[in-house]
Order: sequence, then structure tokens, then C-alpha cells
Amino acid sequence: MSAPAPTAETGQFEYDPTFLHARKEAIIIFCVWLAGLIWAVPFCYLNGYPSDFDPENFSTTLGMPTWIFWGIGVPWIVADIFTTWFCFCYMKDDDLGEDNGEESAISDDGNKEVVA
Amino acid sequence: MNPNLLQSTPILAAGTSNAALTTFLIYTMAVFGLAWLSNRLMRSKSFLSEYFLGSRSLGVWAFALTFAATSASGGSFTGFPSKIYTHGWVLGLWIGSYIVVPICAMGLLGKRINQVARISGCITVPDVLRDRFRSPMFGLLAVSLIVFFMSFNLVGQFKAGSEILKTLLQDVDAFNAAVGWVAGVKSNIGFLRQVDADYLLCLVVFAAAVIVYTAYGGFHAVVWTDVMQGLVMVVGVVIMLPLAIYQVGGMGRATTMVAEMTPPRLGLAHVMFDPPLDHDFAVSSPWFLLPGESDGQTPRLFRISRTLAIPANQSTVEHVKFVELTTEEEINRYLQRLKREWGPDRFNAKLDELQDQGFCWLNDAPELVSASVIITLNKEYEFGHRQRGVYVSGPGPDPPSLPKNPGTLSVQLSAADTPVQIQVLNAEGKLEHARMSVGAKTLLALNEGEYELQVSADGFEPFSQEIKIVEGGTATIDVALAAAASGKRDALAPQSDGPMSDGFLPLSLAISFFFMWAISGAGQPSSMVRLMAFNSSRTLRRSIFTVAMYYSMIYFPLVVIFCCARVILPGMDLESDRIMPQMAVTLTNSIGQGWLAGLLVAAPFAAVMSTVDSFLLMISSALVRDIYQRNINPNVSEKTIKYMSYGFTLLIGSGAMLGAVNPPRFLQDIIVYTGSGLAACFLAPMVFALYWPRVNSVGCISGMTAGFAAHLAMYVGGIFVNGSFFDPYRLFNFSPIIIGLLVSFVATFVVTRMTAPPPEDLVRKYFYKKAD
Repeated sequence: MSAPAPTAETGQFEYDPTFLHARKEAIIIFCVWLAGLIWAVPFCYLNGYPSDFDPENFSTTLGMPTWIFWGIGVPWIVADIFTTWFCFCYMKDDDLGEDNGEESAISDDGNKEVVA
Repeated sequence: MNPNLLQSTPILAAGTSNAALTTFLIYTMAVFGLAWLSNRLMRSKSFLSEYFLGSRSLGVWAFALTFAATSASGGSFTGFPSKIYTHGWVLGLWIGSYIVVPICAMGLLGKRINQVARISGCITVPDVLRDRFRSPMFGLLAVSLIVFFMSFNLVGQFKAGSEILKTLLQDVDAFNAAVGWVAGVKSNIGFLRQVDADYLLCLVVFAAAVIVYTAYGGFHAVVWTDVMQGLVMVVGVVIMLPLAIYQVGGMGRATTMVAEMTPPRLGLAHVMFDPPLDHDFAVSSPWFLLPGESDGQTPRLFRISRTLAIPANQSTVEHVKFVELTTEEEINRYLQRLKREWGPDRFNAKLDELQDQGFCWLNDAPELVSASVIITLNKEYEFGHRQRGVYVSGPGPDPPSLPKNPGTLSVQLSAADTPVQIQVLNAEGKLEHARMSVGAKTLLALNEGEYELQVSADGFEPFSQEIKIVEGGTATIDVALAAAASGKRDALAPQSDGPMSDGFLPLSLAISFFFMWAISGAGQPSSMVRLMAFNSSRTLRRSIFTVAMYYSMIYFPLVVIFCCARVILPGMDLESDRIMPQMAVTLTNSIGQGWLAGLLVAAPFAAVMSTVDSFLLMISSALVRDIYQRNINPNVSEKTIKYMSYGFTLLIGSGAMLGAVNPPRFLQDIIVYTGSGLAACFLAPMVFALYWPRVNSVGCISGMTAGFAAHLAMYVGGIFVNGSFFDPYRLFNFSPIIIGLLVSFVATFVVTRMTAPPPEDLVRKYFYKKAD
């Protein structure tokens, strides 16, 4: 991700920390989704899609099919624990700025400019 | 298990119906009360920002529950339970990505979209895109796509709301009296003649409630009702879960019983009354028995789906849908429960009747004594038929489709005593029917269209003839078999009966759905607009946690509850859309607390309402704010805006209601198309707009149009490959949403790289701040 080439003017500015934090958090969240995909779908496919169902080998854990327990149930709990940690220990309380109101939006039509 | 569960309970019958009506009335009054409060709140604030965005002031509970309730939609409480009942435990994988949906849908874009919207004072999604790139054209494109997709979707949601309300009220006396009155009134209005009176009444009541409170109360009314609706939903699930597990004797027992089950057969039948009745007659989902295929074998058990109704003096009800249970243990369990309830004498008398007449009803209605059944179609599941374990493993059973516009083929045989093989092939040469038959006349149900009938028998020349079936009609074919000239000739070999589909959730679809819920959920404009409404990062953090807990309490428990429903309520495969209210009534009645059913049945109604209100507001904000104020008259007064907002919300709601009077045939498919289409259009441009300073308007507009085109192309491809727009072409077996998203992301990136960077001041405005 690259910004336009810095100029003398942009030199007085730095990346907004809210943007940087939000981007970092978004990347981590995407990785968590990817980890969920990589675990849940192959695990369920390999363990829960038998070519020939054998009642003798069918097992349950806590009353649900074992492949659902390990493929979805346990990851669900892990994801909830991660979400709790992410929300309360990792995610930054960033300043989102003031609401610039409707005037600012209309001003972009050409008359007035508001810079954050 | 409770023996009282045996009988098919009419939904909200008797005592519970009044409870349901009371619940509904209290619920509606609360909704209007919230709208009134919300309208009062608006008087002290800027109208537009308050009406469409609640002045960006939502706290944790309001934000979390409005987000969760809007995303949940009616599907979570009607379509989802129905799917679990039909396909079993594999639905756990189908919604597998819900483990990360809250953090993805809120965390991927939430903080940045809220910040960007604040920087420019945006209150709608097109606003954000337009201001971020200073491109009115981009804003207009976004508005057009939102209005296009959401208008269709709104019609579908109105229909869903009306159907749920109908289920809720169908046994309430006052409601039935009102239906009678509506039936009289509509008979004088041309375009309403074909519409069911009960559906029409529910549509008008549902639409009036939603339109009035949304139009009058604006965003805050929608949010507050979402909070109430969100609470109703979670309370419903939390009550049902232990009841369901208790009823089946534990979850392990339920799973073991479900593992034993083989999918039922689904079919059509003619029910003949001889002599015809002298009065109108209706009976709710009667069961009947046919003898087993050999002596001493378990009888065949059938359940007619929905209500069997026949007017006075009519002798036949054609194309009645039925379900035939195929699991011996399940049939025996049902018969044992019947024996316990009836007592052995009455039960044995029924079995004698079955033996003597080769058929018997399992209902008390005396009218059924004169009724017999001719099965005209009996289809196996396209995947999973006769397989045990199919409900506890992937890819899950896949039911066949029954004819939507059925007609009858009557085959009259000259050689009545000869066993013949009858086969019917459709225009593509695929086998529609294969039946061994003995007797002068065989009736077969077929969808309207053209077919080839083939009849063969040992020692006879094969017979073949083109036939045409029209909806509701009967095509009669006389078959005179000629003796084979060259001695004995074998009958046609029946075609292979192997699986005709890959199952409900093959691997490629499982991956698609992992994308669909988590990633495309983040790309829904209705979710994005909520992300613009919270008041601080702290609220966002806490809300993600709240929604994660909320979804954990709803979605996985729903899978458990409705897997138990397969055991508690067998034979509902053709009316599984009613499984949620039916379970609510059955479970609460079994503990003698029927009044609870009203609350539980309100949950799906709440879910649809919370989706409809936010969609309604999105479309009217697109028209008032994005088109009128920003493109036609920027200096419009607040008073004019106010009346226009009320007016458009009313107008759009009324338009959607009229659309839902005669909804298009493929409504559910349209909802799927619009939901995935919106994500394919909006996700990539929004992600790049928020996180990539280099991106420009040309790149994002290209990404949006490319996503729209690629997604549409998959559906258009469906016309050529699968013969229907709504059976889309699946490139590499993936859902169109994945192709749309991929194309949209690539197009945005490539076109941006090929074109000039955006103006420096614009980048500075949204990505930089002054160095300290």
C-alpha cells in the first residue's frame, strides 16, 4: 500500500494513527477469517464427508457428531475467546474525529473545503 | 418422549392462538411507541442526520443489537431452521464462518468507515464514496445500484413478513373473520382476485406497521425496535434449546436417532372421495398407511403436507403433496406412540383395516372414511436416498423438486394383466418417471411440458409416444402393446438410480459459504451504514464482543434445536418453512406453557421487521439525500427535506407492498441474487477507498461495475448452461459471489495502477493529519 509521492507540503503531515491502527486491525481480522477457513472446511471435509457411512465408526462428542464438535464447535469457542481478547486487550480506542456535519459534505461540490 | 407430541398440532391452536394475538398486539404497540419517542427526539436535532443516521450517537447495546438484528433477517428464523430440518448436521458447516462473522463484518471496515464518514459529514454509503473521491458520478452509480438491488429485496422481505404473520395468526378466530371480509372485498377488485385473502390481509397489516413506524420514527425508531427484536430472538432460542434437548431425551440420543434416518420419499397423489361429501371439508396434514412391500414387513407411512381441503360435491383433490417416511425405526416409533395414545384395541383395529382394505387413514375425521389415495409421483432424494448417516455427515441430503405446475398423464393399457415398465423422459432425455405397473390404468403426475412416454413388457414390442402435459390437465394415452415378432423381448432396463446431485453442501459450496457470510456480510451497504452510526471506538470494540456472544447464543443452538426437530416432528419435509412455529408450539405445549409460543413465534416476525425497516430507510435516504439534495437542489430547506423523507419512505414502502401482492415467481432466488450482488459491487471499492491512499475514482468505479458485470454474467450464463437465470453458472463450482468479489478486487487494483494518482489534497484529507 503506497501513498502518492511525498512533496514539500505532505512533508508536514504524517499518516493518521487511526488509519494505521484500523488497517493493522483489519489485516489481523482477515488472517483470523483465513485461519477459520483453513481449519474448519478441510477438517470437516476430511472427517465429516465419508464416502461410505459406517454406523459402527460414527462417533459423537457432547451429543454432536465429533467432526462438527472439532470442526465447528471448538473453533467457535476459540474464536469467541480471540474476539474477547481482541476487543478488550488489542483494539485501540482511536479518536474518530468530530462529525463535520452536512455542510462539509455539500461543500465538496465545489465551494468550501474542510480538511481534517 | 412426550406422547402428546404425536399429533400434528395446528399452529397456535386454541388457547395458544389468543396468546399469540396478544403477543402480536403488544409487540405492535411497543413498536409504535418507540417510533413516537424517536420522532420527539428528532425535534431537537438536525433532521437529516438524525432521521437517516441517528446523529452518529449509538451506544453499545443499540449499535450491537441493531447490527445483529439487521444482519440476522427473516431467513435466520424461517429459512435456516427449514434447511437444518431438511439437511441435518451439515448446516453446522454451512454457517461455519459465523464463528468470525461479528469480528469480520464489524471490525474489517467499522473504525475506518466511521472516521471517513465523520471527516466529510456523510450519512449514507453513496455519500461516503462520492466524497471520498469527490466524484458525483460515483455517488450516482452507487445510489443506482442500491436502489436497484434493494427494491427487489424489499419485495421479498415483505412477502416473508406476511407469510410469517399468516402462520402466527392462522388459527385466531378474529383473524379468520377478517379474512372472510377481505375475501368478499377483493372479489370485486380485478387484480386481487387471484391473491389469497389471508396473505393479502397479512401483507397490508405487516406493511402498514413497518412503513408507518419507519417513516414516522426514522433511524432511531428502527434501531430501538431492532434492539427489542434482537432481544426477542435470543430469548426465543434460549428457551427452545433446553426444551428441545429434554424432549428427545438428550442431544446424544437425538444425534444417534438422526444418524439412523434415511431421507423420505416425496410425491404427489390424487385423493378421491367416493361418494363426494355434501359439505366443505378440511383436515390438517393427515397421515395414512399402505401395507409393507411384503407380508410381515413394516407398513409404509405417509403424511399429507399442509391442509387437505375439498369443497362440497367435488370428488377429487389432485396433486396433493405427501412425504413417505422410509426409516423403519422411525415408522415403528411413530406407530408405538400411536398405540400408547390410542390403546391396543383401537390400534389393532386400524391394522386390521389396513390388512383388509390395503389402505387406512390415521386420523379421526369421519369424512376420510370415503377417501382413498392414488399415488401419481413418488420421488427419491437426489442425493442420500436409502443412505443411513446422511443427516449427520456431509454433504447432506438433497431433496428432489416436485412439479411446480403439475398435470396428469393417464396411461390406459390394453394388456391389463401384464406387468409393464413405464418410463417418461423429458425433453433433454432425462428420466422423469420409471414405474412397474400392473392394471388397466396408471396415473402419473408431471410438470407441464413435452415428454416421451416409453412402455415395455416381456414378450411385447416397445411402445413409444411424444406427449404434452398442460398444468391442471390430463393427457390420456391408450397403449396397445403388440406381441414381439421375434419371440421373447425383455422389458427396458430401468435407468441407473445413483445420486443425481453432489449433495446439499459439496466442498466448493462449503468454501463459498465461508466467504459469503463473513466477507460478503461486510460488503452489505445496510451493514456499512450502521457502522457509520456508532459514537466511539470504545463502542465498536464492545459491540463486536456483544454481537459475537449474541451470534454464539443463536446460530449453533438453532442447529441443535432443529436437528432435534427431525425426531420430534417427523414428516414435515415439504413444509419445513413452518418448522420454527411448529416447534415453538409443540415444545411449549409439552410443558403446559402454551402462552410462551406467542413469544417464540414473534422471533421470526421480529427478524423480518428489523431487516425491512432498515432497507426501507436505505432506499429513501438514497433518493432524498443522494439524488435530490446532492444533485438536484443542494440548498433545499430542512422542512422540505423532512416532508420528502416521510413521503419517500411511505411511497417506497407502499410500492414494495404492491409488488408483494403478486410477487415474482423466483422470489427467494431474487433475494439471494440481490444480497450477493450488493457485496460484489460495494466491498472492493469500499475496502480500497478506506485503506489504500493510491486508489482513485476510476479504479473504484471500474471495480464496482466489473463486480456487478461478473456477478451478473454468472447468472446470465445460467440461462445458457442450466436453462434458468436463477440457477447460475458456477465457474470452477464456486458461487457467483466469489467470482464477483475476485473480479471486483482485481479490476479496482489494476485500473488504479494504470491511471493517475488521486489529487494530493484528497489523500491528505482522508489519510493524513498534521505532524505534531
